Parts: sequence; C-alpha cells; structure tokens
Amino acid sequence: RVCPQHSERAKRRGTMNQPSRAEKFVLPEGVRKLTFTRDTKVSNAGTFIVQKEDHTLGNTVRMQLHRDPNVVFAGYQVPHPSDNRIVIKVHTNKDSSPMQAMTEAVDHLRTEVSDLSQKFSDEVRAFKHQQGNDGY
Amino acid sequence: MAANTKQRFPSVEVQELTSEMIRFVLRGTDTSMANALRRVIIAEVPTLAIDLVEVVENSSCLCDEFIAHRLGLIPLLSAAATEMEFPYDYAGDDEKKTDVQIDLRVKCVSDQTEDVTSNDLICYDQRVVPVGYKPTIRAGGKDDDYTVPSDGAGGDGGGSGADGGILIVKLRKNQEVHLRCVARKGVGRDHAKWQPVATAVYRFEPEIEIDETLMGTLTEEEKMAFAAASPAPVFKYNAQTKKVEIDTPESYAYDGECLRKAQEMGVPGLVTIRAKQDAFLFTVESTGAIPPEEIVTRALEVLAKKLDVTKGELDICAAEQRETAA
Repeated sequence: RVCPQHSERAKRRGTMNQPSRAEKFVLPEGVRKLTFTRDTKVSNAGTFIVQKEDHTLGNTVRMQLHRDPNVVFAGYQVPHPSDNRIVIKVHTNKDSSPMQAMTEAVDHLRTEVSDLSQKFSDEVRAFKHQQGNDGY
Repeated sequence: MAANTKQRFPSVEVQELTSEMIRFVLRGTDTSMANALRRVIIAEVPTLAIDLVEVVENSSCLCDEFIAHRLGLIPLLSAAATEMEFPYDYAGDDEKKTDVQIDLRVKCVSDQTEDVTSNDLICYDQRVVPVGYKPTIRAGGKDDDYTVPSDGAGGDGGGSGADGGILIVKLRKNQEVHLRCVARKGVGRDHAKWQPVATAVYRFEPEIEIDETLMGTLTEEEKMAFAAASPAPVFKYNAQTKKVEIDTPESYAYDGECLRKAQEMGVPGLVTIRAKQDAFLFTVESTGAIPPEEIVTRALEVLAKKLDVTKGELDICAAEQRETAA
C-alpha cells in the first residue's frame, strides 16, 4: 500500500485542492456580480445571487429587508463556505416587488452608513479637540 | 409612506482614543450593522505587507520560506495604501502603483549573535516602513555592502520589543541574509498579515437596575461585599450615602459574578442586568499600521462601497427586467 502523499493520484492532482485565495473576492471575467431570478410558482418572489460576498453583506441586507412592512419573507444563505456567494430570497406582498424591496433596503443601508461615517468623523474630531483642551 | 421607520440614524460616542486603540459606543442600529462593521474592520480594510521575497543569500538557521513568512507578518505603516492599487486589480505598467521595494541585508561579522530585526529593513519608500521603525545605522556610506549596526547610537539593533524592532532571525558569525522584498496592498480576507487590527470586538451595553428596597435590607458589610464581588468596577460602595451605586456599567463583562453573589447572600433579585440590543461597545486595537480612528473611517468607506456596488448591480438588473417585460 502506498501512502496518500505518494500515490499516483496525488502526483497527478497535487496533494492539495486548495483554491486560490483570490477566489474570495476577485470576480472572474464574464461573471455577473448580482443576478435575480423570479420565482416561477409564486408571484412577487425571487432570488438574488450575489457573487464574492459573505455574511457581512448578506445578514445586513436581510435584517434591513425585515424592517420593510411589504416584505413577507426575506432570508439569506451561504450555500457552501468554499463557494463565496450568497443567496437572498425575497417575497413581498402585491404592494411591492422583490426588486423594489431590495433596492430600497440597500438604499437605506447606504444612507445609514454615510450618516454613521459623518457622525463618527465629527465625534473623533470633537473628542480630539476636547483631549487637546484637557491636556492643557 | 412608511419609509421613515425603515431608515435608521445611528449615533456614535467616542469614549477613549489613544494611538493604539479606540473605544466607542454605537447606538441606534442593530446587530447586523455592528457585526458588518466589525467584520469589515478585521477583514476588508486594506493595508500593506511584504508579499514577495527574492532570496539572494540566506545562510541563517531558518529556511527561506520561514523568513519570508515572518517578513510578511511585520506590520508596515499603511497610510500610502489608499493611493496604491491591488495587484490583481491593476492592469497597467506602473510598478509604483502596486509595489513598494524593501531590502534586507545583514551579515554577522562579530563573535556575538547578530539579531536581525525590522529595524534592519531598508525601505525605499519612506512612507512605507515597519511600525515603530528606528533604522539601524549603517557603518560606512552607500558603497558599503553590509548593514553593520553600531551599538548604542540611533536604533538598537539587538533585542526584541518596542525599542529593538521585531526580531526576524538571529545570525551567527559569517552567516548572512540578503533578501529583496516587495510590499503590496491587500486585505485581511486574503491573508492575516494584511489585518490592520490586533482585534476588533464589540459587546452589548448593559442596562443595570438595582432594587433599592432589597438593597436596603442588607448590612453595610454585605453592601461592600456585593460591590466588591464583580471583578470589573461595575458597582461602588458610597461610604457617605451608605449605598451601592453604579460606577461604570459599560465595564461589565457579562460574567455574572455579582448575580452569583446576590444569590449567595439570599437576595437573588437585587440587581437585574439586561443587554441592550441596540447599543454596542466597540474596542478596536490597531497593530500600528493605520491609526485606530482611521481604521474605522476606512471600514465605513469599504462598507459604503460594497453597498454602492450592490446598488449599481441592482439597477442594471432592474433595467434588464424592465426591458424583458416591455
């Protein structure tokens, strides 16, 4: 019996199947970052697949979607950790649509982050100013 | 429209800011945003680190890749990272946009062990130097082949720690190490050497309530014992008012010691502690590559860019949907 490191198969395939680390964030040529597929059986429902993203975006968008009263169902998953994509399923009532709900959610998050960014800069500046005063 | 209830406007309060760490409270948002911020701080704020090592000479006791690995982990001042491009993104010819040259050339000529530290690195871009860089003085001018540390004056080549630079390898007499390194821009997601923080954590701000009637039933010693029970300075006993007061609630680490003490003393309802679900105490400790407040600012920029990219893609998708529907 040959040990796994020296088997013929190992020599052919290499002993490691490790993908390149860049696969986590580099989008290959011809691959769309985001795709949307309407649900064929249910109206006002669909699935978004976002490439090269993880829970950082997925959970945040999902929780924001929950705040939309027109959203009946919103969930996300990372189908496999080696795959580096997220799948977000959105189902709304007839007053909205998955695309609309998603767009609004991302908009609100973007405004929130901008606002936070501004407030943080202001706070740091004020804190440093105060530190400077106390130092004297 | 119900739009107003969907939009949040969080608030920030900075509690402590040093050159190495920042402590702030984030209020008015939910766990997903706090966690997203934490994840981005750790894994997606770009820094610079040595990424390519060309070995000209290595007669040290550590093999080439060992030294290369250690070199990569040395934190480099990364203020210049914003102007540089990621190597996998950049398609042009200008090397200065992606690469920064750093050399290392030390030979041990004395009988004593030579410590090669981050202070021995020769940095060609003065903005991109190791954190806490105190360059070792070279003996002789440009033509001199070797960096021979002069004892005492200037940088202290020997010994590790804050003053001596980060130890890379030790050399015996006649052992030499001569390498050419290239530092590149990257993110923690790719390799931990590009992580700008030692750690970034958040915990929920606690809401502590003391039941005054139950507190009134305790003796003075019991009150003092209770205040001392918690390892963090959550409570303090005020000798003047003879009462237990809340000192610094945010230092509470959710260890439950004071609750256990209350149970022991037979007054389990003495204090109720809840974690506020929308207030987060962040502690961000920088490695020194980027100032801590700058790390958070850049993290928010990265998060904003992520959302922008998503929005752009959504718009494209929506336009296509309209076209196919029409």
